[in-house]
Formats: sequence, structure tokens, C-alpha cells
Amino acid sequence: MTSGSSAHDVILVWQDGQEGSDEREERLSVGEDEIVLTAAECAGVALPFGCRTGACATCTGKLLDGRIEHARPPRALKERHREAGYVLLCIAEPRSDCRIVVGSSVQAELVSNPWQ
Amino acid sequence: MSDAQQPDDTTAHADHEGHDTEGPGYTTPQAAIEESEPEKIAYVMGLYVGTDVDAPDFLGVVDIDPDSETYTEIIDRVEMPNRGDELHHFGWNACSSSCHMDGLERRHLVIPGQRSSRIHVVDTKDRRNPELESVIEPEEVFEHDLSAPHTTHCIPDGQILISMLGDADGDLPGGFLALDENFEVDGRWEPPGEIEMNYDYWYQPRHNVMVSSEWAAPKTYYPGFDMDDVEAGNYGQRLHVWDWENKTVEQTIDLGEEGLIPLEVRFLHSPEATHGYVGAALSSNVFHFHDAGEEWRAEPVIDVEAREHDGWDMPVPGLVTDLLVSMDDRYLFFSNWLHGDVRMYDISDPANPRLADRIWAGGHFGDPAPVQDRELAGGPQMLQLSLDGERLYWTTSLFSSWDNQFYPEEAEQGSVMLKADVDPRNGSMSLDEEFLVDFGDLPDGPARAHEIRWPDGDCTSDVWQ
Ligand code: FES
Repeated sequence: MTSGSSAHDVILVWQDGQEGSDEREERLSVGEDEIVLTAAECAGVALPFGCRTGACATCTGKLLDGRIEHARPPRALKERHREAGYVLLCIAEPRSDCRIVVGSSVQAELVSNPWQ
Repeated sequence: MSDAQQPDDTTAHADHEGHDTEGPGYTTPQAAIEESEPEKIAYVMGLYVGTDVDAPDFLGVVDIDPDSETYTEIIDRVEMPNRGDELHHFGWNACSSSCHMDGLERRHLVIPGQRSSRIHVVDTKDRRNPELESVIEPEEVFEHDLSAPHTTHCIPDGQILISMLGDADGDLPGGFLALDENFEVDGRWEPPGEIEMNYDYWYQPRHNVMVSSEWAAPKTYYPGFDMDDVEAGNYGQRLHVWDWENKTVEQTIDLGEEGLIPLEVRFLHSPEATHGYVGAALSSNVFHFHDAGEEWRAEPVIDVEAREHDGWDMPVPGLVTDLLVSMDDRYLFFSNWLHGDVRMYDISDPANPRLADRIWAGGHFGDPAPVQDRELAGGPQMLQLSLDGERLYWTTSLFSSWDNQFYPEEAEQGSVMLKADVDPRNGSMSLDEEFLVDFGDLPDGPARAHEIRWPDGDCTSDVWQ
């Protein structure tokens, strides 16, 4: 068991989808037993969300670096999504310093148009 | 013999005792047609959920009075207190089914958040300037092991019933949540376990029947549409026929492969009718269901052929996402959200709909001609018809994550609300090029637009006892 009070640097990265385009970053300090989405809200940083229970994937981020644990089962993610590093920020707690791609475009990567 | 072929509900209504016009609504569907004024205001859901726009979803008040200076403008927005709701379908605290309830008014809109499970009550006493009155927080809903509120109907005794698509975890089974007259959670309406999947429903009290349909578990449809889920049987294909008084399922009809993802359920408006329709989105069929005596039956009566699309790998279904029946029970309208057409069928013989007319507007196959220079990013989706059956309106957003999948441009451009003029005598419609409500042009950024309601009742919310 780690101490609940230790905090990690969580860097949130927004990408606008185009290669080589500008990125925006925000750095947050998030406790081990703190939810990333809640910590972002406290810091005045707006992230997309919906159900806040791990069912809808609106809050999906992609972990580039670090370790996350989900406080509840991430029901909205399939195995292929979890293997690819997607995390649900409404139930995500950091276990190390992290770097996470965020913003609505990350959710949109989860499913593509099956007819196209 | 079909009872819908003698839609004489004026006489039928007379044998329902204790009726006067003290309560809200109209005594009969025919009265709604004859006594109603042309609609001047539309209430339309506006959404930011799932985008990077840092604003809550809102109830939009749209001026649709052609004599007004602010015609086709969004004249007011009631912002919800939180972000992330995905306001979707909504309903009135009272409709024509409550016309025996003295003192009850059709005044409050009950507006659920499909993703948040939060339920909002808006007072529309001032029609052009409604106000948020109260909020039921998600935790109060989860307590009943329900989530993902969908269809809201008033029920005849002054209560409100909401179909719920999931359990507290966003998994199955769903069920129904009842609110009392004070807009507080009354509890679960049905004994838990009657159904697994849920979506839309319509009741016909004179026949003691309700029919409900199936989408999927919230955790399945929330993130977007995945063909793997279809193969895994995670999407619905059944109708449930309920004993309305007992709140139990009496019969389940499996629609089979032709009935994949049955969504909106619409009975004919005549309270005597035992005929209705449901649109199966994925297989793109419209089913006619009816009381066949010993049991209820459902047969596909309209089949929308999938179409080849240049550069796409597989034939694309029409995706019948909304349908409605005109107040006189003569026409059925439905939208093919992926193809891009709105269709009008003559249903004088309910089991044999006859294509009367159709309009193309946007979609992946429609003539991409912009309306008033405005590109149409999505396809026709939620429909609403004037009570007199002469004006059909629609918006273009289906569900934020599905929009992003099939019409990614809509997030940047926002939705539009369009209108067609309908000629019920000749069974034809034409797009009104003068009418365009642009949800892309709002102070917080482009918004999606979803369901439409009129203050004085409409073709998708009024039920008669
Ligand atoms: S907000 Fe729904 S999964 Fe996170």
C-alpha cells in the first residue's frame, strides 16, 4: 500500500489532430487517491465527461507515459482499447507521474465508421 | 378489421366517462388538430457534451413564428447547471392523457441527461423565457439501480415515467423510473427484471397496453457504434408488450435480423387504435405492430435498401432513427439519418404503408446542396410535425459519439434545424428554403440539436386515455 498523500505530476496534452500542429499542455498535481478528472476541475481545467462512472468513455484519455489505476472497472473500454493505452479519466488515479493525451478527439478514436 | 380505418375517435371519446376539458391538452386528436394554433415556439435540446466547448447543454427556445422579427432565431437558452449531461429526449409533466386531471397544467418540461443520469425540471410558464426549477441528481437515480434516462411521458394520474436504459453501472438490465407530481423520484415503476434492454415506449391506456423497444446497455452504445457489439448480440431486436396496469411484460416479440436496434415506438393517436410502428435503425426497416387478438404481432412493412457509397467498403444502411405519425393517423414520417432522406408514407391502411413523398437534405447520399449557403453536416434525424400536419421540422444530431463517428464535421459546424411544408391532401412535401435555424452560430460555440417539442403538445408526446 502506498501512502494516500503522495502526489504525482500529471501532464495533460491536447492535440488538434493534425500532424505537427500546436499542442497545449497543462500540468496538475494529483494525489494517489485522487481522480484525474476531479483534480483537473479543481484546477479550473475543462475536460470532456459524461457519466462519471466509467460507462460512457466521454472522458477517454490516452496514456503516453506513467501508470494509472482505475478506481472502478472501466466498462466503456474494450480490451483492445486498454491494451492501446486508453484510460477513463473520471475513474483514473495516478500511480506515477503521467503524460496523457486528452480532449474530445481521443474518444472519437475508439470507434471508427464500420462502413468506411 | 383494422380499427384505424374508422378513426372516429370523437364518438369513441364520448364513452370515456368523466370527461371535460378542465385538464391539460385536447379531448381528442381531432380536437388537437382543429383547436390548436400554429406553433410559434419550439423547445429544442442543444448539446455540448463530448466536445471541448466548456459549456453545459441547454434547452433552446426557437422562434418559429413567421410573423416574428426573430423568426428562425434561438431567442433564449436555459443552461443546465452542469456539463456532461447529453440532454436527449424530454417530455411534459402532463399531456392530453391527463385531461381528466383538474388543475394540472402542461407546463413543466422534464429533461433527462442521457449520459449523466441527471434529471432537470424546467418551468415554461413564460413560454419565451422558461426557467430551471429543480434538479434530480444522478445519485438519487443510481439508488434505484437505474441509469441513462431516455423517454419521458406523463402518465394519466399526474406521475411521470422515464425509460432507463441501464443499471447504476451502465450495464443491463434497464427499467423504468417513476417521478411523482412534485418531480421527486417515486421509485422504480415495474418489478425489476421484467426486461433486459430498454429504449423507447408508448402506452395506449384504453387497451391497457404499453410497447417498449431496445437499444443496448449504456456501456455498449455510449462510446460509439462498434460492429463487434452487433456480432456479440449486444444490440436489441425485441419489442416488449406490457400489461399497463400490472406493469408486467405479457409478450416479447423477437423481430429477428430484420429488426436490429428497434428505436422509436409510435402508436396511432386514436385511443381506440391498436396499431403502431417501430423503426429498426440498423436493419433499416419499419415494423407495423398490432393486436391480433390472441397475441400481438409485428411485421416489417417498409424496408430501406442499403446503398453502395463511393469509397466506402460496405453498403450503407439508411439508419431509420426517428419516426412519427401525424395527428390524424394518416401519415407516417421517418428519417434515414445516414442516407439523408425524410420519407412520408400514407398509412390509411396501417399494414400497407404507401410511399407518398420524400425529401433529400444532407446525409451521405443526399444532394449536398446547402440551405441558404449553410453546409449540412449531418442527416435528418429527430422529427416533429405541427398538430395540423402541415409543417414538418427536423434536426440533425443523433448522439454525440455516434455523430463524431459518422458526421465528424458536425462537431465543428453544429447542427441545423430544417423544415418542410407538407400538403396532407396531396401527400407531398417540399423543403422550405427560407427556414434554417443554425446551431453552429452560438456564443459558446457550435452546438448539436436534438429533440423538438411544442408547448401545446405534439405528435410524439400526446396520448389519449
Ligand atoms: S465520464 Fe463516462 S466514462 Fe468517464
